[in-house]
Amino acid sequence: MSGAALLFLASCQKIDNWDEPDARLYGNVIDKYTGTNLAMDNNDWQIRMWDKTWEEKNPGTVAQFQSLAVMRDGVYNNAKLFPGTYNMLPYDGPFWPADTIKGVVLGKETQQDFTVTPYLQVLNFKATLSGTSLTLTCTVKAPVITGLPNFYEVKGFLSLTTFCGNANYINIGDYNNLRKQINKSWAAEVGTGDSKDYTLGPYPVKSGYTYYVRIGANVNALSRRYNYSPIVKVVVP
Amino acid sequence: MKKKLILFVAIFGFVVSACKDLDLEPKGILGEPELFGTAFGVKKYFTGLYFKLPVEDFIYHVTTGYQPGNKNQWQAYKNGLDQMCGQTFGWNVAMNNGFGYWPYDNIRLVNVFINNFPNYKDKYDVATYNSLMGEARFFRAFFYQGMAKRYGGVPIVTEVQDPVNGDREVMKVPRNTEYDTWKFIYADLKFAMENMASSSESGRANKYVAAALMSRSMLYAGRVARYTQYLGFATEASVQQGFAGMDPSKANEFFQYAFDAGKVVEQGPYSLYNKNADKADNFANLFLDLSSPETIFLKDYDGQTYGHCYDALMLPNPDFSSFVGVEAGPTLGMMQLYDFPAITDAQGKPVRFNSRSDIKIGMEPRLKGTCYFDGDVVRGKTFSIQRGIYNKFTGLASDAKFGSNAAPVNATSNRILGNKGDKWDGTKINTTTGSFITGDQGMFSGRGAENNAFMGAFIRKYIDPTLTAAQATVNKSSQPWIVFRLGEVFLNTAEAAYELGKRVEAFDYIEKIRVRAGCQVTRPALDQTVSSTYGYPIEKSLQFIRDERARELYVEQHYWWDIRLWRIADQVLNLYYPHALTCYYIFDEKKYIYLDEVNRDNRSISAQKRMAYEPIPQGEINKNTNLLPQNPLW
Repeated sequence: MSGAALLFLASCQKIDNWDEPDARLYGNVIDKYTGTNLAMDNNDWQIRMWDKTWEEKNPGTVAQFQSLAVMRDGVYNNAKLFPGTYNMLPYDGPFWPADTIKGVVLGKETQQDFTVTPYLQVLNFKATLSGTSLTLTCTVKAPVITGLPNFYEVKGFLSLTTFCGNANYINIGDYNNLRKQINKSWAAEVGTGDSKDYTLGPYPVKSGYTYYVRIGANVNALSRRYNYSPIVKVVVP
Repeated sequence: MKKKLILFVAIFGFVVSACKDLDLEPKGILGEPELFGTAFGVKKYFTGLYFKLPVEDFIYHVTTGYQPGNKNQWQAYKNGLDQMCGQTFGWNVAMNNGFGYWPYDNIRLVNVFINNFPNYKDKYDVATYNSLMGEARFFRAFFYQGMAKRYGGVPIVTEVQDPVNGDREVMKVPRNTEYDTWKFIYADLKFAMENMASSSESGRANKYVAAALMSRSMLYAGRVARYTQYLGFATEASVQQGFAGMDPSKANEFFQYAFDAGKVVEQGPYSLYNKNADKADNFANLFLDLSSPETIFLKDYDGQTYGHCYDALMLPNPDFSSFVGVEAGPTLGMMQLYDFPAITDAQGKPVRFNSRSDIKIGMEPRLKGTCYFDGDVVRGKTFSIQRGIYNKFTGLASDAKFGSNAAPVNATSNRILGNKGDKWDGTKINTTTGSFITGDQGMFSGRGAENNAFMGAFIRKYIDPTLTAAQATVNKSSQPWIVFRLGEVFLNTAEAAYELGKRVEAFDYIEKIRVRAGCQVTRPALDQTVSSTYGYPIEKSLQFIRDERARELYVEQHYWWDIRLWRIADQVLNLYYPHALTCYYIFDEKKYIYLDEVNRDNRSISAQKRMAYEPIPQGEINKNTNLLPQNPLW
């Protein structure tokens, strides 16, 4: 018994041969068109980073990426990283493929912002309540049409919390089936213009509840992440 | 102490002397000369490989994989491929990101044979030697296509590596491109087709079995080459380097191989099963008749050492089986792909039926052979399936809003739901007077599976009707799984032919399938107008051929691979809600109607786009970084 306890204590004493990860990396993902942080939902997509220092210290190895979650306000923050040199890439988000930023040096506190070019913009978002029917309208704009993958769908997201988007929404058929499925080239769906208005709904909502709603639109690129409108609060009397 | 020392010396002495005797050849162990030196030895060696072939059958489980020898397979069907992709609906939706299939242990066994068998060439006549060598190449192709359809390009290993003394770096075999991987499969199967005997005992391969595998594999490869471009993965490293996807210009090469292999199969002793005059029974019997001329290759079960649970899991317990009851029912969307009677009229009102079983009037015989509906008899019992009663139903079918409780017509005062034995007398639920609210096999408002037809019908395909309900229990089913049948090969050839521009010839095959199926229109007119349902243009007649595959091969574990390799799985399964066929009695009219309702759990199925390729198993990458880059989006 005492032997076991001794062994236990002794093993606790063992010190790791590697320093605790203590570097903090944080920053913003900025929408090129608005200059503000990209509208998204929590952890919709991730930033990939590759530890080049580890590769240098272990010749012949290939560092595999780790993923950093991005929060719904377009901010990311991780305070438990190993210091060193990294390559970083905002990956599989609702924007044109970004360039890998090479040689990001992590010291104690490092800020690294990314500017991305969204595929689509969801503008003029309005939520109109009539009794217990909620109608959502917006204008979807594609600033760059050349090379744009198929315009895939326009979907309303309703949530009962301030978290609203593809990761947090009321996922029921009555709502999901009201999304507008398109999957056509921009020209086939919209014509020669760069924007088109959409109306979704009416969504049946319940009296006495507060909803947080937005519209997302996506194109058929990689995992089809959404570009979102701002979130609007709707109080149903 | 002295005693111990003596004992130690005695033991040590024994060990030393025993060492001398170990130079003798052990008599109880089959070594390579015994296994490779005689046809029986080779058969023994091959039996283990047949056992491990990647065949998705009754016991395939999407997250734990092929489980040769594991008898505890009762959860397999609710975690089967068909459930996963919305062909059937049951208790849960299995994940579709695979289980890390990586059969290089089996490939090594094949490579040992291929490399060492030439040492025993003098012990065989030429034909036998060639046939056995061909069989080995067939195995290797089978294992490789099991990987290629999941991962695209994988390392091609033809040598027997030495993990003890070998060079570590040499053992880290890099990924081959997807094109090279499919071409390697082609080369192995071509060799097998040219060298194997033209007949074999049941359950063992021959040149036509190799040709059938060639037909399927090369069709898959052709689809990958033609349609991967539409996934939007062009920026991915694995795509740019050719490990996932192929140049579209390669598509016709593979479609031609598939087409040619189909023609070879046709030279064999196979024909579409046509023994019964009743086309519905005929279609059902095709999967049960052990002497079916349509079967090219099967995987056998005996119901004892190797049994499966299919009969126990697909029909309701306790009336028709004696285990946990129905794990999977057919979806309405699937049923309506066949010739299916209208359930609404021109105005959109539900059609009135005099009896529930009238739903089968005008139904395609193949569907009746595929599913059991109300009124069908098996195991001496008759299915009766009804969801409930409407006091009145004067409006449109759409008023019922797919069964939503929120629809006014579905108010509890008008739509009466109940459990087994409950009756409705016009004012209240009781058990003595009035009309039964449900059938004996549901659909009950209670949640249990017992006897409950929560999709409105049951699967008939592969069900053994000769069993009693008591015999239909865990691990007691013995019907073999048909790995290849001529019907599939015809569909492979038809699709390959159409992709090659041989439209008329493609429909010659479709017509054969549809005549046997008893379809109303056996040869639909060619329609070359373009459908862009899936975001890329294909001719409507090609879509028809794809749908024919879904109809003919329903619950044969093909559909997931089909939609995935057509590169549309993420679109077909995009918040897809399986629907049920529900029958109601209209109390004031004394008639029946059928409605289209969303599944009782209001559950949807989605496939992420990255499921187009499974990820190379991370454990393998940790051992061998030459397997990078990882597949798209993983």
